[in-house]
Amino acid sequence: MPAIRKLPEVLINQIAAGEVVERPASVLKELLENSLDADSRAIEVHLTQGGIKQLRITDDGCGIAKEDLALALERHATSKIASLEDLEAVGTMGFRGEALAAISSVARTRIISRARGTSHAWRVSEREHEPMPAALNGGTVVEVDDLYYNTPARRKFLKSDATEYGHCDDAFRRVALARPDVGFQLSHNGRVTLRLAPGDAERRAREILGDDFMAQARMVDVASGALRLFGFASLPAYARSNRDAQYFYVNGRYVRDKIIQHALREAYADILHGNRHPAYALFLELDPAGVDVNVHPAKTEVRFREGRAIHQFVFHALTRTLASPVQAAVHAIAENEYSAQASPTEQVHLGVEEPVLARYFSAAQFAPAATRAPSFEALTAFGSRNVASGAFMPNALPQTTQGAPLGYAIAQLHGVFVLAQNETGLVLVDMHAAHERILYEQLKHVLEGTPGVQRLLIPAVFNASKIEMATAEDHADTLQRMGFDVAPAGPNELAVRSVPALLARASVTDLLRALLAELRDFPATEVIAARRNELLGTMACHGAVRANRQLTLPEMNALLRDMEATERADQCNHGRPTWVQLSMNELDKLFMRGQ
Amino acid sequence: MLLLTTSRDELLAPLQSVSGIVEKRHTLPILSNVLIEKRGGALTLLATDIEIQIRTTTEGAGTGEEIAITVAARKLQDILRAMPEGTEVSLVLDDKRLTLKAGKSRFALQTLPAGDYPRMQFNEGAAVEFSLSQKAFKKQLTQVAYAMAAQDVRYYLNGLLMVADGSELRMVATDGHRLALATTELQGDAPHTEVILPRKTVLELARQLSDSDDPVSITLIGNQARFQFGPIELITKLIDGKFPDYDRVIPQGNPKLVKAHRQALLQALQRAAILTNEKFRGLRVLLEAGSLKVLSSNAEQEEAQDELEVDYSGDSLEIGFNVSYLLDVLNNVGTEEVEIHLNEPMSSALFTLPGNSNFKAVVMPMRI
Ligand SMILES: Nc1ncnc2c1ncn2[C@@H]1O[C@H](COP(=O)(O)OP(=O)(O)O)[C@@H](O)[C@H]1O
Ligand SMILES: [Mg+2]
Ligand SMILES: [Zn+2]
Repeated sequence: MPAIRKLPEVLINQIAAGEVVERPASVLKELLENSLDADSRAIEVHLTQGGIKQLRITDDGCGIAKEDLALALERHATSKIASLEDLEAVGTMGFRGEALAAISSVARTRIISRARGTSHAWRVSEREHEPMPAALNGGTVVEVDDLYYNTPARRKFLKSDATEYGHCDDAFRRVALARPDVGFQLSHNGRVTLRLAPGDAERRAREILGDDFMAQARMVDVASGALRLFGFASLPAYARSNRDAQYFYVNGRYVRDKIIQHALREAYADILHGNRHPAYALFLELDPAGVDVNVHPAKTEVRFREGRAIHQFVFHALTRTLASPVQAAVHAIAENEYSAQASPTEQVHLGVEEPVLARYFSAAQFAPAATRAPSFEALTAFGSRNVASGAFMPNALPQTTQGAPLGYAIAQLHGVFVLAQNETGLVLVDMHAAHERILYEQLKHVLEGTPGVQRLLIPAVFNASKIEMATAEDHADTLQRMGFDVAPAGPNELAVRSVPALLARASVTDLLRALLAELRDFPATEVIAARRNELLGTMACHGAVRANRQLTLPEMNALLRDMEATERADQCNHGRPTWVQLSMNELDKLFMRGQ
Repeated sequence: MLLLTTSRDELLAPLQSVSGIVEKRHTLPILSNVLIEKRGGALTLLATDIEIQIRTTTEGAGTGEEIAITVAARKLQDILRAMPEGTEVSLVLDDKRLTLKAGKSRFALQTLPAGDYPRMQFNEGAAVEFSLSQKAFKKQLTQVAYAMAAQDVRYYLNGLLMVADGSELRMVATDGHRLALATTELQGDAPHTEVILPRKTVLELARQLSDSDDPVSITLIGNQARFQFGPIELITKLIDGKFPDYDRVIPQGNPKLVKAHRQALLQALQRAAILTNEKFRGLRVLLEAGSLKVLSSNAEQEEAQDELEVDYSGDSLEIGFNVSYLLDVLNNVGTEEVEIHLNEPMSSALFTLPGNSNFKAVVMPMRI
């Protein structure tokens, strides 16, 4: 074996380039990010032959000072971070200081730049790191010619000009979507193909995703503490057969992240069937310290410090938005009425449904007047069938709301909120959050070896990955203790044969997948202690009523009573309120009464 | 323009038949209307919620012009209901308003054009057709419908599987925890056909069918089913999905057979149900030779115990159930006796009726 040698710098850069510079589109992404980091207001990109022949980007940013210009092409040279603390709170797109070095090791690269406030422009190239005088009014021009000219093996992997151009276009759109405040222009072989004037987020989303999308999209804007999710998400009617209109950003950075994708999939699971894919442009903002972006050189992967909290936040924010029909319609184009009625969210249900059912099939009509109102679970677990209308709770509002702090239900609003009347005025309840909170408390017993395990008539069988199979086996005892009987049903299949009765309404497959994900990184002996809250949270979220579930008045009243009986029911498991009170006074003010 | 003169009851009865499916608050305003049509002496009322459409036809109904108009179903029904029986009413159309006159009362209602009403077209083509008595069909529905799921993500469970095969009609419903199956004879020779009726359709049929020997004719084509009985025609969309293989989950040869008096068992369960844990209504059944005990307790440590004599000679067994599931079965089979076939504490219980192989219910146990 030959002796160990230090690799020459160029080779190191070429190896790095393998990760960062996959194709013209990845070069373009890096260069666009550099321009944005330099505070540019207008960025122009010219591509020739799909960007393989030439890729030129011109910006009006801060430019690079002469002394720095030579360094810009060196590996691990960056002006953006200087310490580990900086890295943990990084707010710029770039920080690894390797893009320009990598690019210039596999393509003829020229940079001309004029630093703001200076009177001369300078130029460097991959062969000449010493700055030479040049002419430029301001900003920076980066020119990348003949990608992979010196590594023919890599060059062979490039596709046709049209395909590479397509990838560049994608990359361009991804970056442009996140920065509506910046003007962008893209041209290919001398023709302008996309021109985006600076504007607001809605306009940019419309330009990138199209009018059709915007007509069928909801505006999302939900904040909780330092977390904020905003953007636009399509309604089911706009679902597509591919995933190409899915844009998700974390702190302005386009990412493909498993946790996020799972949360989005679940949010759409109840309303999208089969192979339909939602379209969205969503931006998650959080404290940079809460997310590690330095996972992969291409920076499209991130790692969240609190993955579960992020998952829940995104899931709830989106579910809420998609379910409520009046909130923030992006565009008030009068929809054709048929398509409007196709949306299941449009109906207001007064909760006096299914008297027929009660009359014909209910077991509970024989139940004597109950000593206490039945719990929400008892009522909802199997449809409203267990409630004979009026058997437990008069449908009419009681004269007095004494002894019922949260009052009595009046109606359900768009499948999301329960409205109730109490002594003070109006009570608005977020039904999922409230139910999730109640279940969370009740489920604590589940972890202590639960009573009430319902055997399933039809086992829920689902395809499981190798990791899921292994986790189910390692944690079989834990799962059993929690009330789940899970066993392999084939080499790639798991079957669930029993579930805790409290969770009887949950989608068993989704619930199990989520639990396995929660369990997998922990030794079986410690998992309950270590992951207790996460496990409870996962189970509660899956067991709780989902948006659009229609509740009857007795069901709603049972929910209110359960809330009253549950400790800390005022706040959901993520610290947001589960209900709010609007007093008569506040309501009066809305109408300027008594003034 | 006088459209119709008839008695209140001639109009109210068919209106009540069709208006059950009218949504109270539909986003499409015309769907809260009923279509009234009169052609050649036949009066037709029609209502739809897009999934189901119900139509009634009355021959030789009153006099007047040919009409086709839509008007708010609830309002019309409420007005007619508030009138004394046998009142003579007439409908007059003038300039888009429909005026109902009766004695000195006048009600002028807004209308919407009949041409805008979204009628369901019944499929054409090769159909599967058969019939049976309304009584038999209704009984069969009642024996099974309680086991349907409601708002389940497995949408195909939110309905009832109907299998026509030769001279047999089978119905199956399950919510994943229990299952009910009933078979009857049909008139005709049906090729093997399976359809899933939506929950709402099943409930509507159960509401509308009478206990008479008059027939109900059933036609299945593609994704639609049609039920015709008396003056009523109900067309429904079907649930497109694969119903679970029900045969596989019906236990064969459960060794422990209990024969019980249905009413006695039902009442014991109803009493014990009061003190079950309200979260999941779990109840324990204790079997010993000749006796069946039921035990329940709730979160407040309150307890109930009851016991009845049964015909049982096997080993003792303790098994838990959601009491609602047991009540549902016992409430909806109209026999003196029931048979319960049991095995292990965690295996399924089969309910049958003595000397009758046409009914089966399976209830999964619960660990309490
Ligand atoms: N368009 C530009 N305008 C101003 N400065 C730039 C531009 N492109 C690159 N630079 C400078 O060059 C440095 C190296 O860039 P790069 O190799 O992409 O690393 P990074 O972006 O990770 O810092 C940057 O830190 C920045 O100082
Ligand atoms: Mg960079
Ligand atoms: Zn939740």
